[in-house]
Amino acid sequence: MKGITKEKLNQLLQALSGDYQVFVPAKTSDTVTKFQPYGEGVQMFWQENTLLSPKDIFFPQTEKMYKFKTKGMSVDIATITPPDAPKILFGIRSCDVQSIDCMDKVFLTRGYEDEFYKTRRENTLLFALACSTHADTCFCTSMGIDPQQASLADVQMSDVGDAFALEAKTPAGEEVLKKFDANLVELSNPKIVPLDEILIHVDMEGVSEKLEGMFEHPLWDEVSSKCIGCSTCTYLCPTCYCFDIDSKLHGEDGTKIRCWDCCMFSEYSRMAGGHNPRPSKKERVRNRFMDKLLYNKKRHGQVFCVGCGRCVAKCPVNLEIATIIQKVKEAAI
Amino acid sequence: MTAEEIKKVNSLVPIKGKIIKINQETSDTKTYTITDENGKKPFTPMPGQLGMLSIPNVGEAMFSITNQGENSIDMAIKSVGTLTNALFDVEEGQECGIRGPYGNGFPLEKCKGRDILFIAGGIGLAPVRSLIMHCIKNRADYGKLTVIYGARSYSDLVFKEDILENWAKVDNMDVFVTIDRGEECWKQHVGFVPSYVEELNLPPTLTFVCGPPIMIKFTLQSLMKMGYNEDEVITTMEMRMKCGIGKCGRCNIGSCFVCLDGPVFTMREMNALPQEY
Repeated sequence: MKGITKEKLNQLLQALSGDYQVFVPAKTSDTVTKFQPYGEGVQMFWQENTLLSPKDIFFPQTEKMYKFKTKGMSVDIATITPPDAPKILFGIRSCDVQSIDCMDKVFLTRGYEDEFYKTRRENTLLFALACSTHADTCFCTSMGIDPQQASLADVQMSDVGDAFALEAKTPAGEEVLKKFDANLVELSNPKIVPLDEILIHVDMEGVSEKLEGMFEHPLWDEVSSKCIGCSTCTYLCPTCYCFDIDSKLHGEDGTKIRCWDCCMFSEYSRMAGGHNPRPSKKERVRNRFMDKLLYNKKRHGQVFCVGCGRCVAKCPVNLEIATIIQKVKEAAI
Repeated sequence: MTAEEIKKVNSLVPIKGKIIKINQETSDTKTYTITDENGKKPFTPMPGQLGMLSIPNVGEAMFSITNQGENSIDMAIKSVGTLTNALFDVEEGQECGIRGPYGNGFPLEKCKGRDILFIAGGIGLAPVRSLIMHCIKNRADYGKLTVIYGARSYSDLVFKEDILENWAKVDNMDVFVTIDRGEECWKQHVGFVPSYVEELNLPPTLTFVCGPPIMIKFTLQSLMKMGYNEDEVITTMEMRMKCGIGKCGRCNIGSCFVCLDGPVFTMREMNALPQEY
């Protein structure tokens, strides 16, 4: 099997950077790890998954959609071409790869393709990294995900000790490995570093079906009472896709942007005139977990949680999805 | 660019449009006639479909398309928020952004050859009117048309010309208009729409209901009492929208996106949705 020794990883990344914008997991401050373009000074981070998911590579937190000019009664609209430079997402974990599958369902199906997302997605190769360690908060295996084999990867990388083994999973992945073959070495008898047992186990069996009958359940009063609506869960969640559309104005010139939104905010569904179908935390918390565990299963055939554990680690009031699944499981109906 | 091309190019980016005519309906509602920048129809909606209208430096919102001409579409808009207040102040000739059509629209196949009852309250006449106008334009394809329409007062009645003059002259079409409280000038019925519906007691048929939530709620109750069929009572829903294409998340009622799976739902479909709208 081909691979790259950890010692020579920088050489491979440099070579790839000639043809691609290569994103690697990196430490960007004392508390933040996220995917960054590979380059000088990047402090790569391989110990565990990044705090921020790489969803922003396909779906930036803020994105320009088009430009306009308004003057008197006239309006002009100028399109913006989404960036189509080829990219490699190097070292994405199985859970986050699965979240891209969720995002694909949202942005590329049901009659409309989102051109901004599509352009970025089609021009990005996924080099998935099998997990050889996990965080205390991980629970991907409970969500049916194999942490050492990513579903949509173009190349599957595995830690084999002093090297990463590289296995092409798609023709595009094969092509890039062939092209950069000179940077790779033949690994003799590679042994994938095994993953210790994951600590959190949640039982999803029957949870979506049970939620069908739990819209009016008192559980939502109980769990929502401690939510502070801070939006941490939605921004960290790799499958949260909601966005707002707004304008940035500079005199007559303006840019229409879209940016991540959060269903925990009261303005999110408040209509002109003031009516709000989800006026309190109860409706909003219920809607978020119903959306993750039931509504998206009905829309797209899959639950929108990949067990990455980011909300488990960072929700300031421990109102996270693993606990909710457990509570739904145990709820009397 | 045609709507098909927009869908292919980028569904989220509007084309340039122009408001060529404005008709004041009530003290807070106006109907805007919109073309593309070349004076052509921006896109051809099916009755009941929606369009995203924007004044780009103010905002963008989804509206029902109440009628269409050969070269234009009409939107009747009540001034209630930032964008609609700004629209209320624009003059004919104002340019805008427009994209669409969005949503499922009314089930035309189901209407073919049938007697149809339309029940509307207030600005709720706007979406239903797209189907009424379609039926009138294709009069031979449909049976008897009946409209029951009400508003708070005479001055709150929209499309007065249609409801008080034009439609009554259409072959095999009845129009019943009511206002909530009597006024000296008003010679027709006084009372709320749901009670007028019960009073008229028309035999069950294919029915379209649209209006404020409270009016819809009580009208549907009345229709059920009168033996109307859940699959044949059809309504339209409203939720806040940003994208219009089922991506931005906010217009969901349960697993349905109103922009994509709606805005038109049968009463049976509505009853299966969580009561969160």
